[in-house]
Amino acid sequence: MSALDIARAALEAVDGEAEAVAHSERSGLARFAGSEVHQPTLIENLVVTLRVLRGTRAGVATTNKVDRDGLAELARRATVAAESAPEDDTFPGLAPAAEPPQVDGYDDATAALGPDDQARLAAAAIEAAGDTPVYGFFTSAASELAIASTTGLTAEQRMTDASALVVAAAEGCSGYAEHTAWRADDIDPAAVARDAVDKAARTKGAAELEPGVYRAVLEPYAFADLLDYFSHDSLGALGLLEERSYLSGRIGRRVADEKITIADDPLDPHGLPKAFDFEGTPKQRVVLIEDGVARGVVWDRTTAARAGNGASTTGHAGPVESRDWGPLPYSLSVAPGDAETVDDLAELVGDGIYITRLHYLGVVDPREGVVTGMTRDGTFRIRDGQIGEPLVNLRFTVSVPDLLSDVYGLTRRAALVNSQNFYGERYPYGVLAPALAAARFTITGNGSKPGI
Amino acid sequence: MRDLCAAAVDAATGAGAEYADARVVHKRDQLVATKNGRVDRMTDAESEGIGVRVLVNGAWGFACDRRLNLDGARDAALRACTFARAAAGKHSRALAAVEARTGRYESAVERDPFAVPLADKVDLCLRADEALQGVNVIVRQVMVRARREHKVLVSSEGTDVEQILTESGAGMDCAAARDGVFQMRSYPSAHIGSSCQAGWEYVEGLRLVEEAPRVAEQAAALVRAEPCPSRFTTVVLDGDQVALQVHESVGHPTELDRVYGTEASYAGTSFLKPGDLGSLRYGSEHMNITADPTTPGGLGSFAFDDEGVPATRAPVVEAGRLAGFLTSRETAARIGAGSGGSMRADGWNRMPLVRMTNLHIEPGEGTLDDLLADVDDGIYMETNRSWSIDDKRLNFQFGTQIAWEIKNGQRGRMLRDATYTGITPEFWGSLDAIAGRDSWRLYGLTNCGKGQPGQSAHVSHGAAPARFRNVQVGVRA
Repeated sequence: MSALDIARAALEAVDGEAEAVAHSERSGLARFAGSEVHQPTLIENLVVTLRVLRGTRAGVATTNKVDRDGLAELARRATVAAESAPEDDTFPGLAPAAEPPQVDGYDDATAALGPDDQARLAAAAIEAAGDTPVYGFFTSAASELAIASTTGLTAEQRMTDASALVVAAAEGCSGYAEHTAWRADDIDPAAVARDAVDKAARTKGAAELEPGVYRAVLEPYAFADLLDYFSHDSLGALGLLEERSYLSGRIGRRVADEKITIADDPLDPHGLPKAFDFEGTPKQRVVLIEDGVARGVVWDRTTAARAGNGASTTGHAGPVESRDWGPLPYSLSVAPGDAETVDDLAELVGDGIYITRLHYLGVVDPREGVVTGMTRDGTFRIRDGQIGEPLVNLRFTVSVPDLLSDVYGLTRRAALVNSQNFYGERYPYGVLAPALAAARFTITGNGSKPGI
Repeated sequence: MRDLCAAAVDAATGAGAEYADARVVHKRDQLVATKNGRVDRMTDAESEGIGVRVLVNGAWGFACDRRLNLDGARDAALRACTFARAAAGKHSRALAAVEARTGRYESAVERDPFAVPLADKVDLCLRADEALQGVNVIVRQVMVRARREHKVLVSSEGTDVEQILTESGAGMDCAAARDGVFQMRSYPSAHIGSSCQAGWEYVEGLRLVEEAPRVAEQAAALVRAEPCPSRFTTVVLDGDQVALQVHESVGHPTELDRVYGTEASYAGTSFLKPGDLGSLRYGSEHMNITADPTTPGGLGSFAFDDEGVPATRAPVVEAGRLAGFLTSRETAARIGAGSGGSMRADGWNRMPLVRMTNLHIEPGEGTLDDLLADVDDGIYMETNRSWSIDDKRLNFQFGTQIAWEIKNGQRGRMLRDATYTGITPEFWGSLDAIAGRDSWRLYGLTNCGKGQPGQSAHVSHGAAPARFRNVQVGVRA
């Protein structure tokens, strides 16, 4: 049975208004450490989430028991939940039937990859690293999302995704690289490993840096990670309504350098395309910041109804386990610039620091977009416009809007950076980001040296 | 459940596995959450399946199947063997010897949280929500949760154990905003409240409705408070923040899989080396850390871990010196010490990893007021707001929701945006007092992430307020 068949079967088990979301996953992840596969994991699952309505009261239940008895029990639990809820006069009702856009994002060859292939592609990364120990994974998956509701809505999308991630690390040195795509053929695990090894070799002898404000070049990995964290509070409607978004009171105002344009673009085939959200609403491109001016945030039906100001859903409802964040931009995309390479960006910076990736970010002040974290696996000094000597992992505390307010340039090429850490059900998403050169990046301390 | 596990183990060994274990898990999670007087989320999720882990020619393989029938069990076993055979590497993984165990364990529960009507849970949340109303309060949210995990583990070495773990939890958050300043206040902890292995009695004991007015008043006061100044000073942390400090800067670095680098691609490694055991100075003589999966009510409590190793209380830091690691059978064999006991998996479709169980800092003497009394000039901080630590667990920065100046041994004016930062052994070396048993509480976290694919673990930490000297506070962007 397809995911849509399961969703329809769940709907039939309910008496009254309801919506069923079926989400399947078949994935393999060949994780390696010290150049050996040590945690190879194969997952097959299908989860169905049923939302039952009693007027404006809603209850949700989830199961992966999808036989007749399992779905009947699911309907019973969701109904009990709905009947236990009070009326909610802001409840927007279920999404109407709509035609989702045609998108890419599914590849038969990627879907056909099995454990032997996933192990082989992990081995390709390990072999390409030579004598440098590598840590990371190759993973691929086929997943399917289907929605059916009593409004007549039906929608289904098959998705594939694949990632190769490598940390090359030995005593006192480490480097990082990653490729993500919805077509596994677009990923070269050996090239990923070589990039990581090359980077690691340059980090030996890392020195500490005096804390202070530095000009900086951020590779796409680092820039994407910062944006992803910033987006949770600041680029979704719930953060806006609850006044923890940096964009609260700033829509229509300049919030970034005019070189900065950020959109959520689920239709872009260079990303991980999506046709509809978890309420079945068709996806659309949403401009968030345009030429440095705040244009808006992403919405789902609930936040649009509660705003009560004419707002409407943009198709950004997330999976049920993430609903406490409200609608989120799962397909962030930063408009590229005109620098050919990161070396060109270093030249623009002149004197500063070069950051490959970040680690363990934490939001210090959501309203001001202040994020702290560490640099990792490739931090360097920039001197005289050249990427120079390696630095230890650095503690930073930056305001993302301040970082974006004075931008020297961006690279012409944007990279797709994986943002999912494969918790819960597989739902591929990531950020399309170029490398960035900016005037201010605040270093607040020194951490560990690179490497194992 | 047991028959399916046995069938999976038989299929794996029949396919050439030198070791196999199978876990059938049924998990149910219920959540009621309200926000600003409305039900925000009301979910009841269940998940079940079988996970099979094998060693073939010294290589691990893991596969799972949601079908709880013989076909699902055998398919998972055979796919795990296929993946193990395909795995690149030289592989010579050995497991520390453990005696095969049989047994059954169930959390102590006075009132089954799943027997409490949903309508009663909604009512409690809405009453607490109502009590959170206040000046400048813009977001009020309250939640109650329950989990039951029923699991059976069977191994090719004869282990056969069944466990039923029941958790209950609750919490509330209140956000206030004024003139562009946004502040949060939570109870009993931030980030999804606090939980215990217990029944509904735990939720009732939290007295959410009674505590709510104080939470709202503090949120409203915070938007009028001055920011925490930037300087080096004495810091006193409440038990909640001490618990997170233990979690991040002691728990994770003492996970022996991190020490050996097997988490290097995600969660990170550790500043510790295997040879540091027994010699490394982790902190001051006031620092005593214990791993204890036998703690009543702990989220990391069990009779057997997910390798079937019996629960054992063990020191991790004794009088400031590194005394133990958190281990699996494989990592224990590598250092030739112990037999594991810290392996846990997030449900049926994830491979067990070395995880914290219940990791406690042992109490000292006196009360919070006694700690404050010995501070001429310092900062008292309560309830975590933000956290970050480097991949080796050395450089950390934490923020708390609320703080107060300490002047001449007394709490003074309230401060907002309090942060502190440090380097793990230096920070723990500056610990000069910890409050006593009467101030010691169990804090239950449900959001500990690790592994690829990602896994969330539930862990508890016993902690009391503690005092640290010469700490950098007030980090600015």
